[in-house]
Amino acid sequence: MTMDDAARSDDDIVGSVLEGRTRDYEILIRRYSQRIVLFISRMTGDSDDARSIAQDVFLKIYESLPHYRRENNFSAFIFKVARNMTLNFLKRRQRTVLFSRLLGRDLDRAPFRQDPPRLSELEQGEREGELTRQLRLLSEEQRLALVLKVYLEFSYRQIREVTGWSVPKIETLISRAKSRLKKSLRLQESGGEAVMQAREQ
Amino acid sequence: MNCRRITRLLSPWQDGELDPDLGREVERHLRGCAACSGRWAALGELRQRLLRVPPPADDPFLPARVMARLQARPVRGGRLLRAAAWAAVFAAVFAGGFLLQTAIAPGAATAPAASYSSVLLEPQEFGLLSVHDDFLDLFNGGGREAR
Repeated sequence: MTMDDAARSDDDIVGSVLEGRTRDYEILIRRYSQRIVLFISRMTGDSDDARSIAQDVFLKIYESLPHYRRENNFSAFIFKVARNMTLNFLKRRQRTVLFSRLLGRDLDRAPFRQDPPRLSELEQGEREGELTRQLRLLSEEQRLALVLKVYLEFSYRQIREVTGWSVPKIETLISRAKSRLKKSLRLQESGGEAVMQAREQ
Repeated sequence: MNCRRITRLLSPWQDGELDPDLGREVERHLRGCAACSGRWAALGELRQRLLRVPPPADDPFLPARVMARLQARPVRGGRLLRAAAWAAVFAAVFAGGFLLQTAIAPGAATAPAASYSSVLLEPQEFGLLSVHDDFLDLFNGGGREAR
């Protein structure tokens, strides 16, 4: 991506693609691919699935470009598509696991999981692996809100644009997700002296 | 503010979503409350642990893979353009055929077309009208020779 490409707005690039300069779409892919893969991998807990879904997300977005309104936020638009496709994937995966259990074949004891842990996961520290597992055990809504806030650094207003939820609902979901994770990771709520230390961080 | 209310505000405060005035109240409360400051510290630790999970490895070939697959899948708006292009081709072929016919047989193309009524009024020696005339002649006791 050249300096000129980096300076171009999303809407400018979308307009260019719609005028027939298809190659410009690659600028958008390069701009968003890392964050989209990160988002999907935190939602699914699997980076290989994330890359595969991300590819479909970009194809879907390309097809939907004629329907994109320029006054809308392109970032919200792209994450909305990613969110929908990820949730569809999770539903399909859940159905597959449930169906296999009905047939008496327990593919994996971990919920919503089909494949054995990959090498990358094994390489992660034990605590990180536990955290990833706990993240997957959150409800989809809680996980979605938390991932957008913590990993994508979205504001509550931006999360509202992606999810369509109200700000109070987003606040509640994130707060409950944090409480649940704190409890399941057995994080100690002790030490008043740690307060100012945490504030400084 | 009591601890219950402060506990509810800790998460949005950490997310930077709290009104600054409320934030100052939370800060003031934490200075004097060990239980709430403990909760706050735990939230901070959770955040750090969440951020320590390494991101997935970058996939440098993703853009190229998507672009390769797009070659066979144009934007939907392109369908209209393609249809218009086909219509133009058909129109050109039709016009070409017409001009060719005019060039080969100029009279045929320029001769005025006979109207339906003029065809009916002309004496017919073939087809249904001729049969109709023969039938009338027979009925009147005559034949073609008698006419």
